Amino acid sequence: MNNQLLDTYREDPDEIERIIRECKRETHISYAQDGNFFTPHLRGINHAELGRSKMISSPFTIVLEWLWLQYERLWYMMHELKRRIFPRTDALYGTRTDTHLVGKLTFAGPRDRGVPIHHIRLEAWARTHWGSWRKLSNAVSDTTGQFDLPLDLRAARSWAVREIQVDIYQTTHIFFPEGRSEPREEVFECRKLPKSEITGMEYSLGILRLPLWEYRTDSTVPRVVVPTNDLDLPEKYSEGRLDAFYNQILPIELTKLQHMEQIRYAPETITLDTIQQDYPENLTCAIERKLPGYTRSDEWFGRRMMNGMNKGTFLPDPQEEGVYWIKYFGICGYDHNDKYALPTCRVKFSLSDTGLPLPLEIQLQGALNAYDRGPDKISVFTPNDQPNWDYAKRVVRTCGSVSTEVDEHFAGTHLNTEQYAIAAYRNLRLNPIATLLLPHLKEVSLIDHAADASLIRGFLPRATALSDRGLQDRIQDMMGVQDWKGWQPMTPISHAHYYARGEHLFWEVVGRYVDAFINTHLEKIKQHWFEIHRFSEDLVNHSVAVFGSGVTESADKELLKERLEYYTLVYGYAPSGGRRTVGGTLRIVSPITGATSFGETGEADLRHLRDACCYIIMTATYRHTWINEHQYDDLGEIRYNCGGLRFGTRPEGVLLPESDPGIAPDLVIGTEMLWFTNFLSRTEYGFITRNEEEDVNPLFRKFLLEEEKKFARLGIDVHAIESRTNI
Amino acid sequence: MLAKEHTVFRLIRNWLSERVDKLVLWCTSVSFSFMIGVFLSFFARSRMSHNNGIGATGRLQVVDDPTFPAHSFFPPGKQFPARIRHASVTFLDDAMNCLRSLSIKLSEHHFDSPFDLEMNTGERSLFWSAASFIQFAKMRKEKYGVQYVEYVRKYPTALRASQLMLRRHVTSFQNLRYYNKTPFLFVGNDGIRRYAKYRALPFDGAPESGIDPNPSDWDVANQRILPHETRGRNYLKDEYARRIPREGAKYKLQIQLHTASCDDDPEVFNNMVPWDERTHPWHDLAVMDIDQVLDWKESTLTSFSLNNMPKSLGILPAKSIYDYNSLNYMRSHSEFARRMRLLSYKVFGMVPPVPDNDRRNESEWGV
Repeated sequence: MNNQLLDTYREDPDEIERIIRECKRETHISYAQDGNFFTPHLRGINHAELGRSKMISSPFTIVLEWLWLQYERLWYMMHELKRRIFPRTDALYGTRTDTHLVGKLTFAGPRDRGVPIHHIRLEAWARTHWGSWRKLSNAVSDTTGQFDLPLDLRAARSWAVREIQVDIYQTTHIFFPEGRSEPREEVFECRKLPKSEITGMEYSLGILRLPLWEYRTDSTVPRVVVPTNDLDLPEKYSEGRLDAFYNQILPIELTKLQHMEQIRYAPETITLDTIQQDYPENLTCAIERKLPGYTRSDEWFGRRMMNGMNKGTFLPDPQEEGVYWIKYFGICGYDHNDKYALPTCRVKFSLSDTGLPLPLEIQLQGALNAYDRGPDKISVFTPNDQPNWDYAKRVVRTCGSVSTEVDEHFAGTHLNTEQYAIAAYRNLRLNPIATLLLPHLKEVSLIDHAADASLIRGFLPRATALSDRGLQDRIQDMMGVQDWKGWQPMTPISHAHYYARGEHLFWEVVGRYVDAFINTHLEKIKQHWFEIHRFSEDLVNHSVAVFGSGVTESADKELLKERLEYYTLVYGYAPSGGRRTVGGTLRIVSPITGATSFGETGEADLRHLRDACCYIIMTATYRHTWINEHQYDDLGEIRYNCGGLRFGTRPEGVLLPESDPGIAPDLVIGTEMLWFTNFLSRTEYGFITRNEEEDVNPLFRKFLLEEEKKFARLGIDVHAIESRTNI
Repeated sequence: MLAKEHTVFRLIRNWLSERVDKLVLWCTSVSFSFMIGVFLSFFARSRMSHNNGIGATGRLQVVDDPTFPAHSFFPPGKQFPARIRHASVTFLDDAMNCLRSLSIKLSEHHFDSPFDLEMNTGERSLFWSAASFIQFAKMRKEKYGVQYVEYVRKYPTALRASQLMLRRHVTSFQNLRYYNKTPFLFVGNDGIRRYAKYRALPFDGAPESGIDPNPSDWDVANQRILPHETRGRNYLKDEYARRIPREGAKYKLQIQLHTASCDDDPEVFNNMVPWDERTHPWHDLAVMDIDQVLDWKESTLTSFSLNNMPKSLGILPAKSIYDYNSLNYMRSHSEFARRMRLLSYKVFGMVPPVPDNDRRNESEWGV
């Protein structure tokens, strides 16, 4: 930072703040709808890929696709027309119940053999020869998955009836039209029955094994099976979410495609700088334009470490009061490549008068160049070590981004939320807690599935030091510190610690909302406590091992201890909780309850449920939103920050200026990185206050809006907080 | 359920559908009887199921002090000639896990009789109506001693009934309990309309043999002999043939009654729902003494019919193929098949006795 600017800052810090606010506004998300009929477009989020996404760009294909869409629309219209002509009314046909359709519902997955599906709704319908529907029976499966649909044999065997079917419903959405909660149920499975075989007494549909929110068997962390075909997805994106995605992704997708062509056919026409210019301007670029050098200053470094995407956790120095450490753990023994540097970074801070941290010292442990790859070598830098100090800050930013993206973003929010989503969708139906949680858990499994291919097995192993295997292992380890029990928001270390203060404020809002909800629905929650028990069991049984619990011999016990100590602070993880060992593995997620009915338990379990709900909503909303929406701010300028700095060929390794192309990401990685951060930060949809789909509880919105001004004082826009993790 | 409004349209519709129901029942019964009569009874010289049996004769005497309402057909102390037939159903191998039967004919003749009764082991049945019986017949799919796999899987009630009905390692036909299951009419001397169920049990109260105390839910359809079976294909018939000259066989025939009313639940007629013995106690009806075994030819010629009953003890009317009484209705319409079988013996000759060879788990006569 040049001295003149520093002086300006000291004289008029408000001016700096004003410029930053202005730049934030300029680079804020907007939904621009442009293009025409022949504008290329994507067919779905899963078609967005590294390299070449599955774009429809040929005019011929666009016309064909348009025709196909018209066919689909027509089919839908016909379907809708039929539905209106022959509505399914709730009145039951028949006069007596002398026949029972019986059976048992179990989950289909190999890890779920024999696990019953409880409290799922079933309906028996008869279709007449002229197309109308007659409802014969409805029922809900019991706690053992058994169901019994009583019906009138004569109504079922009436000559007017053409076919009989049993529809099995699953709760897909919770909506709040006019303030009332309204679960949306969709037919998950339809079993047609031969009418002639219904002869009275009991007719068994047998054991129906439903592929309902199946746990994957090929993943070490709890993940849901997402089939390759679009028809059998466990859930679907809403139309609005897809539209927002299409509108935002298209320009940057075309930009990326253009870069790919240039790199392939005219590499002399493209550089990192031209790539940067082709993408929308991000926060650091905008600030650089107005305050050159500011984003490379110590002040900005400290500001972003505290309130940026990385939002580091400040560990008080045990010896020196007022001094803190932030740590970003690097390779840590995980499988890695030899191309990128990923040292463990320890940054020492003191607090300035403004409450923002100022870096005092940077320690980089691990390889910094291609020639000395010792994992234990520690290089120490202070502000006096220019220019290496600035280079070291860049290394910290880079390693911090990898650490944040992998540990906190993907594992800590995405996969963490997914494990609760799976357990919730599998188990919560009659219990009102479904109404509380499902709006915040929807779509996360889909976006996580998309991230598997494009990010975890695609971009990250090519753009960072961690290999695919290394990433998988690290993600599993990081899931091993994510637990609802004992979690608390980050402790603010100063009044300028806006992230932590915002997190506290949001935590209070969530707490008020959950308390109000539970108090309103307490009787029903107690009545259907069995579902909470099953929810808890699924969570515990499928959660990963506690971090480091399986390690008996470690090459670096000190590092493991240091990581555990830091993670305990970052994730509020309490090493000694009432955790359970399942299958010889100490599971990270603490049980919410061990009782199948509320009578057997007590207020303690109700508190557990309350805490778990708060944690789930907090993770799916605020914690995810923060990282996600700041990605383009902090990772939207290639030379400022990236996924990984290459070792290059020089003995200085990564300790070289930003202008050195040998250590910066290559052109392909450069464009892909900007595409990714744009894609992730700028295609958001589903905000709490905007409530685009009427799927947010009005009470939650009310509580949040009541605190709008307090959030605004922290620089947090409540209207930008997402209600779910869907990008 | 929909609240039904009483309208003329509904009245006419119900009247019409009642006629249609009866027509369907009649057509079903007649066509089924015709098919069985032509293809099974005539060409295959076979009964529908109870082929593997042994006949015997004796006397049946109504008890001297009946506790059931007086009936002119069963005056106290009255004696009838009795011709019975025990069978293992449906396989020609006594050692298999089979349903066992006792059919009684109050006559010396192999065909004509004033009163016939057909009973099987177990208090419940494998089917409960004509519609159910058609599915039962359709889903037999027998192969190597395994049958009704699909049927018992789809109908849990039938599965449970199978578990109660099948008998393996029976020591004698004499010590089993036999039930007729679907009720008959019983209009006694007092003119009150009642429904009656009958059962036969050993006079000496000998414990019932052949009951599996822990039947399988998955393997009921497998009726094959056990892997190391030492009993022969005719061991049970042979035992009975030896027993009768030695000590005879004495049975107690009992009756259970339900007083009819117009608002009776249709489940009263359901053969899958035994009547509660506390409210419907069993009354001793008669004692049957069997003292002579019939040879194979005479046993095979002996046939039974539900039409052989006095009107006041006959079958109950059925309204449709779903009516529980439709089973007896169908049985009563199988007269054609019965006659065709007897005709086939005249045309093609008598079927041979079940050979005592190593063709186990068979349902058809081999060489």
